Amino acid sequence: MGLLADGDRSAFPRVFEALWPPLRAFAQRAVGPGDDEDVAQAALLRVFSRASEFDRSRDALAWAVGIAAFECRSLRKKRARRAEREQPMAALPELAFAGAVSQEQDLIARDLRAAVEDVLGALRPIDAETIAALASGERAVTGATFRKRLERALARFRTAWRDRHGTD
Amino acid sequence: MERIDSGLQSRARRAYELGRARVALGLAPVALAAVAIALACGRPTGACLALGGALFALVAGLSFAGGSEGRAVWPGLLAGTAPLALPLIVKTAGHACFGDSCMQLCLPACVFGGLVAGVVVGVLARREEGRGVRFAVAALGVAALTGCLGCTIGGTLGVLAMLGGLAAGGTPVLALARARR
Repeated sequence: MGLLADGDRSAFPRVFEALWPPLRAFAQRAVGPGDDEDVAQAALLRVFSRASEFDRSRDALAWAVGIAAFECRSLRKKRARRAEREQPMAALPELAFAGAVSQEQDLIARDLRAAVEDVLGALRPIDAETIAALASGERAVTGATFRKRLERALARFRTAWRDRHGTD
Repeated sequence: MERIDSGLQSRARRAYELGRARVALGLAPVALAAVAIALACGRPTGACLALGGALFALVAGLSFAGGSEGRAVWPGLLAGTAPLALPLIVKTAGHACFGDSCMQLCLPACVFGGLVAGVVVGVLARREEGRGVRFAVAALGVAALTGCLGCTIGGTLGVLAMLGGLAAGGTPVLALARARR
């Protein structure tokens, strides 16, 4: 890695072969199967992109694994954000299917749920979260703040619903 | 052993080259600073831009290539500050660089600046195991272009004087180092 940092391109294949297996193994342990290949590749590309900045006095493997660890953290954060975004929708099934007793009612509830999801998806995230919080009971804010947010969210929901379906 | 994906290897190679290019382009502010100093001291815009462009192309190219030549960039820039600054300091101090009076201060400043740069490069090149000549040539090139930005104050004669100083300063140090080895 020191040679590569110095611009010696002949060291590239050796460094590549030495780094790929440990980075891949690290990614497998850190993020589990599925995303490990992507994370390992992203880490490897980042390592080579920053190879010119490598300090010879440091341990090359530790430096590369440090970059891989950063990539893994980024992936975990991305996953967490995705989960947060999907959470409001996850609270809806109970709301929609709560009163469904027959197959016909169940189908109607499913259609209604799809329509609600469609309209919620068009709202701002905070409005969608507020309506989902009403359904799930898990509220980030309480009291007057929540009531005010809910009032606004429902007003926007009604407007969006009317625009799409032409009825309240 | 695990099979190595050639597509991934070529992408990694591209990432490496792009990373080196990014670092090389990061030297642009240094060349810009040298041009700005020369312009602030009243050097002609066209000459400054041409020399600054050549300086940037040289340092970026050497830095991208790496090796002894890449390591020579910063020492060359450092050494080049002497011939860049000395004539400009003389001019800023109130010396009227015109006619015969130029020979009294500007030309000696260019020669002395070049001499200092040559010695600095020569001393640093001694540290390069077996590649001192390549290091010295690259560093002297960078120092010469940096110095030219200041020594244009003495016209073509000023630039030639600085180059003579560079050669006079660097050659003996390098020759001595090679003789001792």
